[in-house]
Amino acid sequence: MSAPGPDPARAEAASMAALIERAEADLAIAEEPSRFAAALEAGAPAGDRREARPA
Amino acid sequence: MTGWTLVALAAAVRARKISPLEITRDCLARIERLDPRIRAFITVDRTGALARAQALEADAMAGRWLGPLHGVPLAHKDLFRIAPLPTSCGSKTAEYFVCERDATAVMRLTDAGAITLGKLNMAELAMGPYGDNAHHGDVQNPWRMGHVSGGSSSGSGAAVAAALALGALGTDTGGSIRLPAGCCGIVGLKPTYGRVSRAGAMPLSWSMDHIGPMARTVQDVALMLEVIAGEDPADATASARPVDDYLAGLERPIRGLRVALADNYYFDGVAPDVARAVQEMARALERLGARVEPLRLPDPQVIHDVSGIVARAESTVVHTRILRERPHELQPAVRARLEVGERISAHDYLQALRLRARLTREFVQDVFDEADLVLTPVTPTAAPALAEVTAGDGEAIAARMGRFSRLTRPWNGLGLPVLALPCGASLDGLPIGAQIVGRPFDEATVLRAGHAYEQATDWHRRRPTPP
Repeated sequence: MSAPGPDPARAEAASMAALIERAEADLAIAEEPSRFAAALEAGAPAGDRREARPA
Repeated sequence: MTGWTLVALAAAVRARKISPLEITRDCLARIERLDPRIRAFITVDRTGALARAQALEADAMAGRWLGPLHGVPLAHKDLFRIAPLPTSCGSKTAEYFVCERDATAVMRLTDAGAITLGKLNMAELAMGPYGDNAHHGDVQNPWRMGHVSGGSSSGSGAAVAAALALGALGTDTGGSIRLPAGCCGIVGLKPTYGRVSRAGAMPLSWSMDHIGPMARTVQDVALMLEVIAGEDPADATASARPVDDYLAGLERPIRGLRVALADNYYFDGVAPDVARAVQEMARALERLGARVEPLRLPDPQVIHDVSGIVARAESTVVHTRILRERPHELQPAVRARLEVGERISAHDYLQALRLRARLTREFVQDVFDEADLVLTPVTPTAAPALAEVTAGDGEAIAARMGRFSRLTRPWNGLGLPVLALPCGASLDGLPIGAQIVGRPFDEATVLRAGHAYEQATDWHRRRPTPP
């Protein structure tokens, strides 16, 4: 009886973890997921940018 | 039906040259004749569509016009809640997705006068780039039976290409609007993340999901986007940014626009006929006055992989119940993809989201300093034969799937607007598609460039002859 082959799901997750390990080293502490939406808003064409709301 | 565009048909209804009932009957007859082989529909709502058409016809006779889509028959991917029709999401369960309200995007189209013919076939749970579906039948490419229609909005691509409906809504988490648009030779738009409300649509990955229009021309897609875009209290991620008048902006010339032809990643492993078609499109844009330059993009492989981690983790969470309670109902490839998500740690998922924010900021700053638009192919090859891409073991199939969607997935991570449109034909006559990518919320420029290209070429006029 042959040994079971490697679990493909586990192998794929491991390769994803390795990618994160390589990429996370220089992530700034200030980086957070919500800055994605902020990047989109900031990158919109200038004439289309919304006025900042008053505090 | 085959000669109409959505915009032309809406104008003909308005001019009382054609009646909503007449068009709807034509579409239903065409569906009845062709769909048993194409398999674009999961549910045909014959009774509902005819009743709606009759009411719209009465409105028209009385001079009441609901909006710019008055009397136009559409159909939508079967993951939008449209009561009282069931929402299978391409799964074995007829009522898989239950939601307290109808999809905002569909409601907006209906409020603008559109008719819903029914709900369209799709890859199971919107997971798959080919359009095969073991529960509802494999969607066939109207250009060639046995070839993939592209997925996951496979029914949307095939229904529009075969003129079963004038337009359709699709969703796009890794390419699911653009892949079927490219394979079926139609136009599809993945808008900026947040431009169109996702309320009332089955989520697959709430960070990567986009809802968008699919139709025969850029003008048709522009009109549909204008109707569905905008703020929605039911979706906190829907942007409050004002919606442009996309149709009015289409005719502005593109002289002086800077178009970057992707110099890395996007032409690696791409078939020569596909590469040639996109390069020829670049030359056509140049003739229209655009300035086309090659540009090296920030390594797309990184955002591709980061997007994959986020999408896998979120989709597994969304579909936990079926994975744990009824895994036998899932197609093996879908189940395998969900199982990967179970093994992604919270650490890796959150780091992927943080990386995505940084990569998007850097891409927007670096690339759009140099260019207004980026041009790439949609797929590495024209639509392959389904039997060819589904042969072999699970690992081989998964690797092929990854290669087929590698040119679309990075744009989901970056959240940018992307228009897929036909730009050529393969050596054996199948459609080839290109992607035009723009700044965040700059759908207007993306559509304008696509429309200018369409006016100068004939690729969007080619029609398949379905069986």
